[in-house]
Amino acid sequence: MKTWKMKPARDLGLSEEERQLSVNRESGLFSGVVRLFWWTLVKLYLRVVHRLSVRGRGNLPHETPFVVIANHASHLDVFILASQLRATIRASIFPIAAGDTFFETRSARRFATLLLNALPMWRRNCGRHAMNDLRERLVDGTSAFVLFPEGTRTRSGAIGRFRPGIGMLVAETDIPIIPCWIEGAHRALPPKRSLPRPTRLRLVIGEPIRFPHIPNQRDGWDQIAAECFAAVEALAGRGSKRGLQSTPMAQ
Amino acid sequence: MNAHDRLFNWRTAFDHTVPLWITAAAGAMLLLCPLILLAIQSRLRAETNTELWARWKSWLVLALLMAGPVLLGAAWVFGATLLLSLACCREYVRATGLFRERLIWWVLTLCIIVTFFAVIDHWYGFFMALAPLSIGVIAVAGIVRDHPDGYIQRVALGVFGYMLFGSALGHFAYFANDAAFRQILLLLILSVEMNDVFGYLVGKPFGHRRLIPKTSPGKTVAGAFGSVILTSALVVWVGEYVFAGTVMAGLSHRIGLGLIISVVGILGDLMLSSIKRDLGIKDMGTTFPGHGGLLDRFDSLILVAPAAFHFIGYFNGIGLDQPVRILSGGAG
Repeated sequence: MKTWKMKPARDLGLSEEERQLSVNRESGLFSGVVRLFWWTLVKLYLRVVHRLSVRGRGNLPHETPFVVIANHASHLDVFILASQLRATIRASIFPIAAGDTFFETRSARRFATLLLNALPMWRRNCGRHAMNDLRERLVDGTSAFVLFPEGTRTRSGAIGRFRPGIGMLVAETDIPIIPCWIEGAHRALPPKRSLPRPTRLRLVIGEPIRFPHIPNQRDGWDQIAAECFAAVEALAGRGSKRGLQSTPMAQ
Repeated sequence: MNAHDRLFNWRTAFDHTVPLWITAAAGAMLLLCPLILLAIQSRLRAETNTELWARWKSWLVLALLMAGPVLLGAAWVFGATLLLSLACCREYVRATGLFRERLIWWVLTLCIIVTFFAVIDHWYGFFMALAPLSIGVIAVAGIVRDHPDGYIQRVALGVFGYMLFGSALGHFAYFANDAAFRQILLLLILSVEMNDVFGYLVGKPFGHRRLIPKTSPGKTVAGAFGSVILTSALVVWVGEYVFAGTVMAGLSHRIGLGLIISVVGILGDLMLSSIKRDLGIKDMGTTFPGHGGLLDRFDSLILVAPAAFHFIGYFNGIGLDQPVRILSGGAG
């Protein structure tokens, strides 16, 4: 028989509010049912309103752990990415969301935790310590993350520099990173707008990359961030029907 | 008492003297406790004081939650016990880590709900059959993911969970199919809870030798003896009125029931302590702030319910004069 691997919930003993704010949150059956409905609606919306087309869906893993990354231009991005992941592992998929946007007010926090299953990342305090808690969740195999290494939505439409945090999560591990390119989100819902335009969206999912031999220290993190950036940028334009090599959109 | 009255009529709550007495006595005790606490406050250490006040407050809430449904009617007992069972199950799966096996958790929840359907339906045969059937369903659910690693662990935890919260707590609810359910359930609740209190009251001043130190450092031999003797005496005394005119009214029967409630109650407590020690956690949850989870409170009742059920059932029968299969129809 295999050694006993089951462990108590990471958020055992926390009050409801502490749970919502904790990066150790793990959710239950009720929120699972709610999310099933929510994500079905999101998928329907993206398909009908934005005629979302997806390339490379076969590159998405079926089991945790993994990290999905993409360029970040719009609030739509997280819905585009997370809606493509398997419903059977939905409870283990956690978008990493900015604490100051999604976890400050009570209603935003409810939305982020119940529907998105998001974990907070406080932008002013995302150093080693905060990243280590997240890294632990990946390493023990129970979680998958959706995150945007730019750390914020692009204001110009052009892809920005990737921060080294992504490196802190996966350096020296065999956890796959799935690079993705999202096209059209900046046109549909740029940071300045509050309601999306019904324009076309494209998602290109690249092949997983791994960094088992990159040392878990500063220059290693920078190297991972740079390689991830290159992998995401290389996907740009591959989703268009005519196969045109377009540079990252700058409108 | 007809079935409709049993299920819904709260006006019959105090028709029998025992529910009236027990409610009055419990109410009086809860009102007296703060007075006693205030009187002896100065002689106690500060931390003991805070602990006692916290205990009193949660007792106040618990007493309402436990006695309320019993007094309101059998339908309320079914509903409240089902909720209790599902909530205990949630605490259990989160503490053991079984909750990451979503399918097993779903199946376990479903099995508990079906078990309560059999209980409410008053369909004894199906209620009994659900133990092996549920084990079968859980064992099959463990296969589905095609991931044999840890199969025995997740199925074993699932089956254990079903036995505790489906089968055992189902027995507690099944008492409500008896016309005398108010008397019996209140006697059970009272004696199981007093069993704890007696252990605490006798163990604190007289306890020296520890009963089973590695599992539960707080339990003393004196406390255990004290609760066995006092709880049995309580059951013998109150049982005389609860079971008046039935086979269970015999002295030896009442002593037997008292011993079962008290010894099994202590064992239930130790079972949960073992689970918690094994997991390396202090409390199962945070349902009662500063007091732990639901399971920390209902651990004894979970084991006592089936033991007491089959002891009383052997001599008196449970719900024999009540209509059976009230929802599904058909023959018993």
